[in-house]
Amino acid sequence: MIPKLLRMVRLTTLAGGVLLALNGCASDAPLDTLEPQGPISRSIDSLSDPIFLVAGIVFVLIFGATAVIWWKFRDDHSTEEFPHQLHGNFRVEIAWTIGPAVIMAVIAVFALLSHFDLNSEDRQDIVLLVDGEQTSWDPEIVVVGQQWWWEFRYYFDGLDGVDLSDPRHLPPADIVTATQMVIPTGSEIGLSITSRDVIHSFWIPALNGKRDAVPRRISPWKIEADVPGFYFGQCTEFCGLSHARMRMQTVAMTPADFQVWVDEQMQPGVEPTDAAALRGMAVFEGQCARCHAVNGVYTKATEVGADLVANAAPNLTHLMSRTTFAGGIFDLYEPDGSLNRTQLEAWLRNAPAEKPAYAEGRRGMPAMGLSEGQIDDVVAYLQTLGARPDMRVIAATEVE
Amino acid sequence: MSYTKELEAPARPLGVYTRPKGNTGWRDWITTIDHKKIGILYGATAMVFFGIGGLEALLIRLQLATPNGTVLGADTYNRVFTMHGLTMVFMVIMPLAAAFANYLLPLQIGARDVAFPRLNALSFWVFLAGGLFLNMAWLLGDAPDGGWFAYAPNTGVIFSPGHGMDYYAIGLQIMGIASLVSAMNLIVTVLNMRAPGMTLFKMPVLTWMILVVQFLLLFAVPVITVALFLLMFDRNFGANFFNPEMGADPLLWQHLFWIFGHPEVYILILPSFGIVSEVIPTFSRKPLFGYPFMVFSGIAIGFMGWGVWAHHMFVSGIGPISVAAFSVSTMFIAVPTGVKILNWLATMWGGRIRFTTAMLFATGVVSMFTVGGLSGVTHSLAPADTQQTDTYYIVAHFHYVIFGGSLLGIFAGFYFWWPKAFGHLLGEKLGKWNFWLMLIGFNMTFGPMHILGLQGMSRRIDSYSPGFGFEFWNMFASIGAFIITTGVLIFVINVVASARRARHEPPVGPDPWDARSLEWFTPNPTPVHNFDELIQVESLDEFWHRKYGEDEDGRVVRVASAEEVCQDGSATDVHLPSPSYWPIILAAGFPFIGFGLMYTLWLCVPGAVLILMAIYGWIFEPTDDPDGPQGHHDNPSGPDPGEDVPSEGASDAVETAEEAPVG
Amino acid sequence: MAEATAVDHGHGTGTGLSNNKLLMWVFLGSECMLFGGLISTYLIYRSRFAEGPAPGDIFDIPFTSVSSFVLLMSSLTMVLALSALQRGDIRNNRVWLLATALLGSLFIGGQVYEFTTFVREGLGYTTSPFSSAFFTLTGFHGVHVSLGIVMLVSLLISSFRGTLTRERSETVEIVGLYWHFVDVVWIFIFTVIYLVPSPTS
Repeated sequence: MIPKLLRMVRLTTLAGGVLLALNGCASDAPLDTLEPQGPISRSIDSLSDPIFLVAGIVFVLIFGATAVIWWKFRDDHSTEEFPHQLHGNFRVEIAWTIGPAVIMAVIAVFALLSHFDLNSEDRQDIVLLVDGEQTSWDPEIVVVGQQWWWEFRYYFDGLDGVDLSDPRHLPPADIVTATQMVIPTGSEIGLSITSRDVIHSFWIPALNGKRDAVPRRISPWKIEADVPGFYFGQCTEFCGLSHARMRMQTVAMTPADFQVWVDEQMQPGVEPTDAAALRGMAVFEGQCARCHAVNGVYTKATEVGADLVANAAPNLTHLMSRTTFAGGIFDLYEPDGSLNRTQLEAWLRNAPAEKPAYAEGRRGMPAMGLSEGQIDDVVAYLQTLGARPDMRVIAATEVE
Repeated sequence: MSYTKELEAPARPLGVYTRPKGNTGWRDWITTIDHKKIGILYGATAMVFFGIGGLEALLIRLQLATPNGTVLGADTYNRVFTMHGLTMVFMVIMPLAAAFANYLLPLQIGARDVAFPRLNALSFWVFLAGGLFLNMAWLLGDAPDGGWFAYAPNTGVIFSPGHGMDYYAIGLQIMGIASLVSAMNLIVTVLNMRAPGMTLFKMPVLTWMILVVQFLLLFAVPVITVALFLLMFDRNFGANFFNPEMGADPLLWQHLFWIFGHPEVYILILPSFGIVSEVIPTFSRKPLFGYPFMVFSGIAIGFMGWGVWAHHMFVSGIGPISVAAFSVSTMFIAVPTGVKILNWLATMWGGRIRFTTAMLFATGVVSMFTVGGLSGVTHSLAPADTQQTDTYYIVAHFHYVIFGGSLLGIFAGFYFWWPKAFGHLLGEKLGKWNFWLMLIGFNMTFGPMHILGLQGMSRRIDSYSPGFGFEFWNMFASIGAFIITTGVLIFVINVVASARRARHEPPVGPDPWDARSLEWFTPNPTPVHNFDELIQVESLDEFWHRKYGEDEDGRVVRVASAEEVCQDGSATDVHLPSPSYWPIILAAGFPFIGFGLMYTLWLCVPGAVLILMAIYGWIFEPTDDPDGPQGHHDNPSGPDPGEDVPSEGASDAVETAEEAPVG
Repeated sequence: MAEATAVDHGHGTGTGLSNNKLLMWVFLGSECMLFGGLISTYLIYRSRFAEGPAPGDIFDIPFTSVSSFVLLMSSLTMVLALSALQRGDIRNNRVWLLATALLGSLFIGGQVYEFTTFVREGLGYTTSPFSSAFFTLTGFHGVHVSLGIVMLVSLLISSFRGTLTRERSETVEIVGLYWHFVDVVWIFIFTVIYLVPSPTS
């Protein structure tokens, strides 16, 4: 008797605990799906919350019934008589076949409404200044997954006529950046998601569900933030060795700030003046430019491609404007705003030791065999690529 | 080796074509074609693989107990989680179900064996060959690392160099052969060899569920066979099935895999549902509530299971109309499953419940499967699934249905049918410790995964960073895993202790549970010939109705004792099929072919030779060894198949099977 | 071969079919799914011919039609073989079994000729998804036909040894079931691959 009561208590507590937790008592969870931060994720949440509740209630009922039955009909040896040998009750069984079917049908209606809404497009053009000219941008970003980082490409003339059929040879874009996708608030942004190698999955839980990135296919999706902020994501389709270390963030800015960001990103790389940076630039030209592009300076990677199976590596023109690197797993800046020099140098020294990859199979950055002096110089050069963002951005997007 | 001589003088078989006589010891087990021994072989082998898969699980949990874990490197972790999934699905749950199907199905339908006893043995040995082959990959340092689902193009030769995924493809193909052959065998057995009077609707629910499973296997295994061939051809011969650079569609793999993969999960759960449907009525002392609904809901699940596969692909980009269709079909498959849960509860309602360990496990299934089923309903809603899929919420779901549903049901079956197979009971006291530790550990491990998933923890990640909020529940889950392990160890201790105890105790005697179905007619343990004489079946739960009738007021009264109803196993004129060693020889050819395909084609030669030789030997070996002992013996130390006078209907069918094998 | 107990096949079985015959039917059910998977794959890939020849460019419908006719005729001879044995006509049984095997071999010969021609014309196994799917589907079918021929030859051998008697005609019937299935699958394959209008480049 006591064990059974204990079991009842234990499992009810578990159920209750789960329900409580489900109601969002976890706050320090940047990938939390239960704390939607955008209109799309909120619409998903408004469908799934009641369903969780219904499921929770059904579970409590079934479990409760089991406990009651166990208690009420236990053999207490007070009699040796057999219970009534009921073989069934046709009406009751029909009822509990049709009943749940009706419930499911009702749920299905809501689910389908939500589903078709989720898969619909309702984009408004955004007016931007691009290169000083006013442009009406149908906001769609090309999202490209690759082992083990994400690329984001902005085409401000829209995607009509842009041939995306070969992700390894994409047409030149206005902005090409990596890991951190910047969007203006208050607009539905279309995403055209694809991959250059295996199947990945793009997911920013706070703003929307996920969509797979399939090689040679474009999967339409969307994202929208209504409040400026920083939203974390994780690749969610097993993609090999560093699947766990393939991350991304979405940075939502006010339209005004977004315009500033666009202007900044459209600047090409500039030649540095500092001696160390110049030396670093020479090393970059010899070692890094094979794969990495700096707009207007090292364009081989943009025009021809990178020395990798997937034919691409992150565009570094505005590296410093991002706050993470190596596929979103390392902070580029310390909390006080200084460069995270140790980690950056470690990466340049021996990338595969920092993040497992198949460099010998041309998937992932190899150890470049740079001397310590060369590493210092390259870091000096990299620091000229782009402007350090606001301290708030740095603080909010800490990943380590 | 001259066949001509053998054919001219069929009474004098020669050399290696002599049929083995009934032996004892290891030779008995190697050559057995007795469905009961084969069932035990399946069960024991599966439990060994369970240990291996469990070790793989513990390694995963050790790695994930803390953020940025260092127990396993990324590469090793990927291999461990892949093998954990493959082991548990293909080398534990499926063969455990096969153990029960093999042991019980002929008994439950009142037959002496399955339709094709040698094919039955072949299924086991081929399964073992495949399981060993796949695990050899560990020893050679190249275990598959693409996940059990092996999505292309990641598993192609560019992104998975090395032989890991070849082990995967070939190992699963080999095991697929075992399942397919077994499915054909059991379908023919159920359709053709039921005892006189046993119509389909007088069969026990366990037999029905097994029958549905065999049809699912029959039609699903060929689909994954195609997928695995296409993968092998891509990897080894440069084919372009999954190469997007040449215009192929990577989603083709997913479709083929899940058209197999979804029926596969019903293959995993239905046998356990069948077991629960036997155990609950016995220990509630009432018949199963709603037998027709239980049978039809099982058949409905079998049919509907073919129409839901793309719910594993909701975010893969198949288009909103397809997603909508599969979302609706998935929601509706909850209906027949829900009926079962409610019918089991209704069976217990109004009963007089005995809380034996078997009953505890069976009721555990009812509760734990409900959790898994409900979380399944939450993922059937496609929008919700865009957040849930590929997270630990899904891991929680399928562990609740597979561990909480399939595995707990199988343990119920162990405790229920142990006396039938081995002649003694498993200890109840240790049994209860086994149950509670497994149940508590299981809920500790997988309950929190619901939370982890909804908080955004992705699946198949070898580590996670601090700062995402995953630390506490991962540690909690890892502790739970060790509690599960303790529970399982107690089961093992129980097995050993019960066997020891049984040596000084009187045998358990017939019908220890006051059960309902045909297998309990035989003494415990079941004699090699099963039934002394075939049972004439007049109703569902025939065994029960021989023991109990009703008085004028409709109350149950005893009309005969178990001893009076049960047979005593003393029949001596039963003709049984002879053992054979061709099944194991045939099975042994497959690993050679597998290694040959991967390393050097010369290795295929001995494999092909073994297989062809075994096929020939199989076709040409005599049905009986005329030098064998006359009459049927039961050794005190163990059963000994005899050869003699052909007996009644069912064994004629068995004999027919032996004499005219199909090419 | 041992035993010759005149067992009335199908006697005492739940379905009225003998275990062996029911086994063959059940096996053929699983084969439907095997070929279904391969045919589906072909249907998806028939228009994906990369830089290689397209189906409409390369198929020789008249040739394959003749080849199909040959296979269809082999089903007829199979039926004749069975009915001969059921009448006790051992000699004609052998004649028709041999005819079936020969027609089947002729079909395989046609396939081999066709495949080598395609390879010469630029459609190799690895050329494109279309080519891989085509050769895999027809290749699997060809393997099934070849195994059928092996079974027919085994029947012939046992006939010449005197063990393929009227009482054992069910064995021929069961091999016949397999053979007819392989033929029916070919009708599907031929229709799907050759007769349905194919893309050209």
